[in-house]
Amino acid sequence: MIKLTDINKTYPGAVPLHVLKGINLHVKKGELVSIMGASGSGKSTLLNILGILDNYDSGEYLLDGTLIKDLSENRAAEYRNRMIGFVFQSFNLINYKNAVENVALPLFYQGVSRRKRNLLAMEQLEKMGLADRSHHLPGELSGGQKQRVAIARAMITNPSIILADEPTGALDSTTSRDVMELFRQLNRQEGKTIVIVTHDPGVGKQCDRIIRISDGLIIPDNSIITSN
Amino acid sequence: MRHNKLRTALTGLSVAWGIFMLITLVSVANGITRSFAEDMQNSSNQKISVWGGVTTKPYHGYREGRDIRLKDSDISIINREHKNTIKEVSSELSGKQSGVSTNKTYVTAGYTGVFPSALGLNQLEIVNGRFISDKDLDNNAKVMVLPEEYAEQLFPPDGRNAVGQRVNCAGLSFLVVGVYKGRFRTIYIPYTTARIFASGDNDIDEIILHLNDVSEITEADGIEKSVRNTLAATHDFDPEDNSGVWIWNAISQALTVQSAIGILNIGVWVLGLLTLLSGIIGISNIMFVSVKERTHEIGIRRAIGAKPMKILTQILVEAIVITTLFGYIGIVMGTALTELLASGIGDSMFEGARVDLAMAAQVTVVLIVAGAMAGLFPALKALKVKPVEALRDE
Repeated sequence: MIKLTDINKTYPGAVPLHVLKGINLHVKKGELVSIMGASGSGKSTLLNILGILDNYDSGEYLLDGTLIKDLSENRAAEYRNRMIGFVFQSFNLINYKNAVENVALPLFYQGVSRRKRNLLAMEQLEKMGLADRSHHLPGELSGGQKQRVAIARAMITNPSIILADEPTGALDSTTSRDVMELFRQLNRQEGKTIVIVTHDPGVGKQCDRIIRISDGLIIPDNSIITSN
Repeated sequence: MRHNKLRTALTGLSVAWGIFMLITLVSVANGITRSFAEDMQNSSNQKISVWGGVTTKPYHGYREGRDIRLKDSDISIINREHKNTIKEVSSELSGKQSGVSTNKTYVTAGYTGVFPSALGLNQLEIVNGRFISDKDLDNNAKVMVLPEEYAEQLFPPDGRNAVGQRVNCAGLSFLVVGVYKGRFRTIYIPYTTARIFASGDNDIDEIILHLNDVSEITEADGIEKSVRNTLAATHDFDPEDNSGVWIWNAISQALTVQSAIGILNIGVWVLGLLTLLSGIIGISNIMFVSVKERTHEIGIRRAIGAKPMKILTQILVEAIVITTLFGYIGIVMGTALTELLASGIGDSMFEGARVDLAMAAQVTVVLIVAGAMAGLFPALKALKVKPVEALRDE
């Protein structure tokens, strides 16, 4: 599903910063993986590239068989909209729109009619067990509820992958477990490919596979064992 | 915008004020234009009047302070020398108040000897019959045209049957050939007939030059000058002596007013638009603040698939909606005020000062353009927001 080949990324500046130094990564369809690494390891940059939020300098990124490289702003927006579902640490709901409107927003950008997108958004909220909260504003929801609204929003376009950036970072441990359980459920029942970026080992453990990144490079699995 | 209602409302008020000023100014200017335009349509503006004056410069051995008297012969001289530029030269000769009677009743009235062109120049409307004709002048005909009021008094009850009847005036029998409605209340008779009644000399008070479709001030002034030269030559006074004959150039005056109104119209639009501009800058300013505040939100929208064009239109539409909304508040206020002026004061100047559909349409276009202008730069700024902003913590 995701295939990164020798991805390099350098931030230009007075002192150019070589952040990704040849990333090779393969995530199969239906996998639930976590990417872990210390801050400054290039983890966020990798996430930006996976999410088509940023460009890379060299290498190749194939997402669901599509080459993601040097896209125009419009094409990138379209791919993000259709292929990727984002879940963020701070939920990133639009605070003056209620739960249904937030969930329906990606469909608005596909030009789906209001009636139809609200209907689909309602369906997603029901799956998340939030039917009774559908007309609440984000400010009136708890952290766990907000994250479930955000996950519903990520799911509504039926994307190829779900990209989650520290999805439990702002939640307490009980709620974190619930949200992780939800991810596992989506992974198992709907076969969604999910990539979770985290520095929480507890979250990592609940995934099928942990990809460790350090200093702009993926650490091979066997070397982790030896270093441990 | 929604979160900062007070800020939006305060800024919006400046747009409302701008439109209010624009509407009020333009309406009043329209009213003034219209009231002048009504005058302008009359042929009474296509005239130059000449009166005899007193010289102020010595000339050809004559001393200053000499009376210049216009003569009947001047009419034919001007007629001959300015055939190409002047449509008709005429004069009026007013007589003393005298009794006009039928065998049943009488009125006391003044009479005026006129040429046929007096009909248009004096803005008369013939209600019945006809006006004085060239043939009447040639024949020194004893015919008269009565004002409506006298016709009613002489031929009660309504004066409809006046035409064709005879009346006595100054011991002579006149045939009533027409009845008119107009500003004056005088009996019109042929100029030549009046001339016979007048005392022996051939002095006349006023010569009226009737022109045709003069639309340039320079042309009107040129005619004025050449007529002065003709009279100066005939009466032996200095052509540079402006008080030798008095000339009232109604055409130049009307044209001056007309161009002044044109400038007035442009002026009020400029003033109104400048006032509006300050409102637009205000809107633009809050849109900038709004874009800045919503950088994160725009980032989120970009991340979940909003194309740049969508963001641009969202900001533009928002600016246009705010501008138009408050603009219409200004339109309503402006309309209310001009309606008040038009009805309350009842002054003819504000009679036409009403907000009409054409102006509402013009102003709507102005508002939409203004809103788009207000939103353009903030929208371009919003375009620069990268989707990565969504990942940044607030």
